Order: sequence, then C-alpha cells, then structure tokens
Amino acid sequence: MEKNGKGFSMPKSSLKSTPSKDDSSQKSKEGRKVQFNNGGSPEERFDYSKSNGKSSSSADKGGRGNTANVKASKSKEKEPLELRLNQELLKNAKCLMDCEAAEIIQGIQDQMTLLSQDATIKLPVSFHKGLQYSQANARYTNTHSVRRVLDTLKKHGVVEGEERHKPLNMFSLILWMQISVIANACPESTEEVFALVPSLKSKKSILQEPLEVALMVIKPLRKVDSTSV
Amino acid sequence: MFFHIVLERNMQLHPRHFGRNLRDNLVSKLMKDVEGTCSGKHGFVVAITGIENVGKGLIRDGTGFVTFPVKYQCVVFRPFKGEILEAVVTMVNKMGFFAEAGPVQIFVSNHLIPDDMEFQSGDMPNYTTSDGSIKIQKDSEVRLKIIGTRVDATEIFCIGTIKDDFLGVINDPTA
Repeated sequence: MEKNGKGFSMPKSSLKSTPSKDDSSQKSKEGRKVQFNNGGSPEERFDYSKSNGKSSSSADKGGRGNTANVKASKSKEKEPLELRLNQELLKNAKCLMDCEAAEIIQGIQDQMTLLSQDATIKLPVSFHKGLQYSQANARYTNTHSVRRVLDTLKKHGVVEGEERHKPLNMFSLILWMQISVIANACPESTEEVFALVPSLKSKKSILQEPLEVALMVIKPLRKVDSTSV
Repeated sequence: MFFHIVLERNMQLHPRHFGRNLRDNLVSKLMKDVEGTCSGKHGFVVAITGIENVGKGLIRDGTGFVTFPVKYQCVVFRPFKGEILEAVVTMVNKMGFFAEAGPVQIFVSNHLIPDDMEFQSGDMPNYTTSDGSIKIQKDSEVRLKIIGTRVDATEIFCIGTIKDDFLGVINDPTA
C-alpha cells in the first residue's frame, strides 16, 4: 500500500503521522521539501505539532526565507486538522516525567490489587508495559524536587518574545515537554541538553547558566544504578 | 512521553446495570472499554486515574440503553516527533532493528544507524562497530530519537534514529 510504503521508506521521503486531506503527490512534494530543509539543521525536526510547529518554528527561525513561506502556505491546508488535534491534546494535558508517571501507575496497580475481587477487571497489556517502562526510566529518587528545579528553567524560557507568535497555552505545553525530555534523558552536561533538544539552541545564551546550575542540583538526586553508563 | 489528561466519552449502559451500583458499573465498563486502547489524538491510554464527572443519562430512543457522558482523567503515552526515548531492542535484522518503549514499537532502519556499525548475522544477530566495542542486539538498551510516527486504529508505530549526538547504546546486556 502506498501509505505503508511512505511510512517505511528511507529517510528521503516524508514521514507523515496522520493521513491528510491533500492528495498524495502534494504530500510527497511537501515531504521532500521538509526533508531538504531538515537536512541542514536538526531544529526543524523537533515538531510538537506536525504542521503547526513547522510553520511557526520556521517563521521564528527566519533563516529559511522563501521556502518557509511555501511550506507555511502548503501546511495551511493541513493546518486546520492538525491544529484541532493538538488543541484537543492541549486543553487539559499535563506533561509527565517518567518518574512521575511511574509513581502514578504504581499507585493504580496497588489500588487494583485491592479491587481485584472483581475477576472481570483485568489490566491490559499496555498498562503493564507502561508500568515497566516508566519504572525502568524513573531515574530520580525525589520527583518533586526535580520538578521544582526544572520549573525554574521555565522562567528563563519565557523571556523571549516568541510567545507572541504562539498561543500561550501551546507555548507552555512545549516548554513543559522540553523540561520532561530533559529530565527523562538524565543529561550529564548542557551540551547534551542542547544536542537532544535542538529547539532550545536559540535560547542557548540565556539558558546556559541556569541549566548548568539545575543539572548540578538534580545530579545527586539520581538513583544509583550500576548498569547505567 | 506520558501525559495526564482529561478525556470524555459517552458510555452506553443497559438497564440491567441500574440500581445501587450504577456508578460502579459505569466505571468498570469505562475501564474495560478504554484502558489499553490507542488513538491518534492522545496515544495509548495506559491507566485511568479518576473520574471527574458523570453527566446526566439520556435514554436512547427505541432501545432503552442510556448514554452517560463521562469525563475521566487518565495517563496516556504518546510518542512525538523529535522526542528522545530509551527503548529495549526486541529484534535485529539486516534492515535495522525493532525496539520497544512502553506500549510503542519503534523501528530504526539501518540507514539511521551510524555508518561504522555493521550487521552481523548468526544466532544473535546484532550490529557491531568495526572495533567491536559497541554492540546492538536483542535486549540492549538504546537511546533513540523519534523522527516519525504512524497511527493505526489500535496502535502507534514509530521510526527512530540513533545517528545523532548522544544517541545509541546505553546498556550492553553482555557487558
């Protein structure tokens, strides 16, 4: 099937997550354009919303020039569908670090053992997988302190005028997600953070110092694990 | 990445469940229906954490079933493009390797594996660097970046890369 072929083909072609209203040739054209632009810098890849992030981040970066405009106009057709999807996610979404998620899911499992008198309630496979995964990746002994420390980074993230281009709640979700990605990755240095979260590079000068301080503070909170690098 | 969100669903209940335990029946039906499902919008519903609100039931014409709008909080797992994840390798073949992160399957093609790693077939097929120092095989832990997602009716499938900085094997099971 064509769709499957696109999904599995080599990096050159587009990797679209939802079927769009556009016809496939337009999609593949846009896909190739995206790839060409992305080849230069990894910044464009960090898309939170599929087309929304692309058009707004390309507007912010500015350096793409006319191709950004072409991309923006092409993605406008897809935008209503994508934007609605992401606004639905945004309304009440709270981004969780893996350690926070592990605590919550573990709590539910404990409750389940109490409720297990009802034999028809079975926990689905994805619950166990989710629990295993979050526990394996829950690297901090004290999740609340980590959350507090990383939230101080939010203050520095909000300084720039970017927020004027995006709706405020979208911006804060993106910031929260960046913080969670940082926490989940347990970075050793600020270089690692900027390599893993390229969208923060634009604020490198502002974030460098607070990030170093934050990483130093959360380092002792890590669970000592003999198998980790 | 995990999210904690509020979702809404219309639950239909047969009159035989009415009575003192109406709410409990509604909640257990909700759990049976929703936990373990997946959608493109919010990803995998891993667990329901609480019920926020159960609306007034409306009797459907002609059938006698009653529809209740239920608002509930749940933990969902949704992978995003650009996200960094740690996954466990489940299968290795010459096209690349499959890895699993929670309920999500990720495929890393051999084009997105660093050029100095070569496929070695055998009992335990693996990817190894030329000097043999780094190996990717079943049950290895790798840190990868998601570069694309595809959503089916019931599952989300991702494509990942380990070709960037700070990505690759974290934990070698044979070490």
